[in-house]
Amino acid sequence: MRSVEDALQIEIPDNARIIRNLISGIQYVQDHVVHFYHLHALDWVDIVSALKADPAKTSTLAQSISDWHNSSAAYFKGVQNKLKAFVESGQLGIFANAYWGHPAYKLPPEANLMAAAHYLEALDWQREVIKIQALLGAKNPHAQTYLVGGMAIPVDPNSQNALNAGSIAFISEIAKKAREFVEKVYIPDLLAIASFYKEWAGYGSGVGNFLSYGQFPNDTRINTENSYFPRGIIKHKDLSKVHPVDHTKIMEYVTRSWYEYPEGDAASKHPWSGETNFKYTGPKPPYEFLETDKKYSWIKAPRYEDMPMEAGPLSRMLVAYASGHKRVKEVIDSVLKKLNVGPEALFSTLGRVAARGVETLVTAEMLPVWLDELAANMKRGDYRIHNGEKWDPSTWPKEAKGYGFYEAPRGALGHWIKIKDGKIENYQCVVPSTWNGSPRDAKGQRGPYETALIGTPVADLNQPVEILRTVHSFDPCMACAVHVIDATGKEVTRIRVV
Amino acid sequence: MAKIAIDPICRIEGHLRIEAQVEGGKVVDAWAANTMFRGIEIILKGRDPRDAWVFAQRI
Repeated sequence: MRSVEDALQIEIPDNARIIRNLISGIQYVQDHVVHFYHLHALDWVDIVSALKADPAKTSTLAQSISDWHNSSAAYFKGVQNKLKAFVESGQLGIFANAYWGHPAYKLPPEANLMAAAHYLEALDWQREVIKIQALLGAKNPHAQTYLVGGMAIPVDPNSQNALNAGSIAFISEIAKKAREFVEKVYIPDLLAIASFYKEWAGYGSGVGNFLSYGQFPNDTRINTENSYFPRGIIKHKDLSKVHPVDHTKIMEYVTRSWYEYPEGDAASKHPWSGETNFKYTGPKPPYEFLETDKKYSWIKAPRYEDMPMEAGPLSRMLVAYASGHKRVKEVIDSVLKKLNVGPEALFSTLGRVAARGVETLVTAEMLPVWLDELAANMKRGDYRIHNGEKWDPSTWPKEAKGYGFYEAPRGALGHWIKIKDGKIENYQCVVPSTWNGSPRDAKGQRGPYETALIGTPVADLNQPVEILRTVHSFDPCMACAVHVIDATGKEVTRIRVV
Repeated sequence: MAKIAIDPICRIEGHLRIEAQVEGGKVVDAWAANTMFRGIEIILKGRDPRDAWVFAQRI
């Protein structure tokens, strides 16, 4: 979207900016909570141990860290019975496939039961709060109301079929629920769990270079740098300096990736001249190990000034922190104080998990602010939602190129486009998990996951829960996942490992 | 000294494989491999730029 708007130099109306911020904002909040409870918590929380908890003690624990209403002994007893029924049936369902009883689990049974209860509550909560995206984007995921030049959702206080005062009030109520759960459940749980795992501030440090494109624009200028979460780069864990982002310094290698460049494997390419020529040279499945001294991944290796960069909430929060962002600094400092650790603890598996929580809280706080901006525009009689001046391709130059920066919940997302004769000549996406999950490059430099894993303890080779902790702390999204079928219907790639 | 492979890594979106060299109870080297091809860049070639976001919005 932004790459096309940059290429064609289309500035969107303010209402479109606000609605995009709201959709992105609630996506951050929902995504991060889902990641914490449903994708990551079971690396830290032993569900089976929760069966041994005393519900009364669990209630005391819950009430000592939060005034969330679901905290009675009877409530936790009910959750425990539900879990028991699961385990006794022998069908663990959503709790299958974990390393229960592993010595690396450190929480007492009561904390495990509390977290398990909130795991279940978060399932209901996330369905409720994502209604904001369903309202503004028509559905979730895959919002349908985007449009080059703005949004395709009318804003009109006098229409029942448009965003009006009633819908703003409805969204505002959901935003309150979103924030309340983050404040009273997610953050207290995060701090409580983290306090048992402080040694994880010493593992998973990663490449130490952090990239944030900036998110939640404050104005409508194309590729504006004026955003609520600032744009910037931190190099070598040095929080005393935030470097500007220059998109021309981003290059992608395919040295260890199953692609080829005409210039060979030592070459790197800027996305405007990027190529996607797939060439699988790995072993034929089933195989035991990949040939990691050759090509071994479908991910390219993006580098900034030839350096691997970490993307994600930790990058955004570190860039904000180092840029002197008032609210981010307050929340990070209070989290560090509560855990009794210094800022260096942020460069770790635990730091990555904590930064995601900080970001969720700060983003949830902004939802009402953007809603107020939208209401104020409507009050002024500004209902503009789409700039259609350059909708018609006859108004476009013969050739154009652009780039668009965005921060997805999982991190820095860049799209680069070249347009020729009204059609896409080249389109390249460098997505967050390309940065984080990248393989080695021509210099042999490891990607962020690879680097972060070094030094991670593994108590039991058959149950490497510690590796999962560090990998999950990045919130991998390898999906972006589409199998390509060629014209004859044959699968172009078919990689399956059992 | 042992080499292990975790594939697939569960509770993520998509397919990820990690190979790790473990020595003395610690990871000494690691390789991250995405075992799935994503061809959005190829799919988008020749299309109307106004449609690109629909194809690319979740990647």
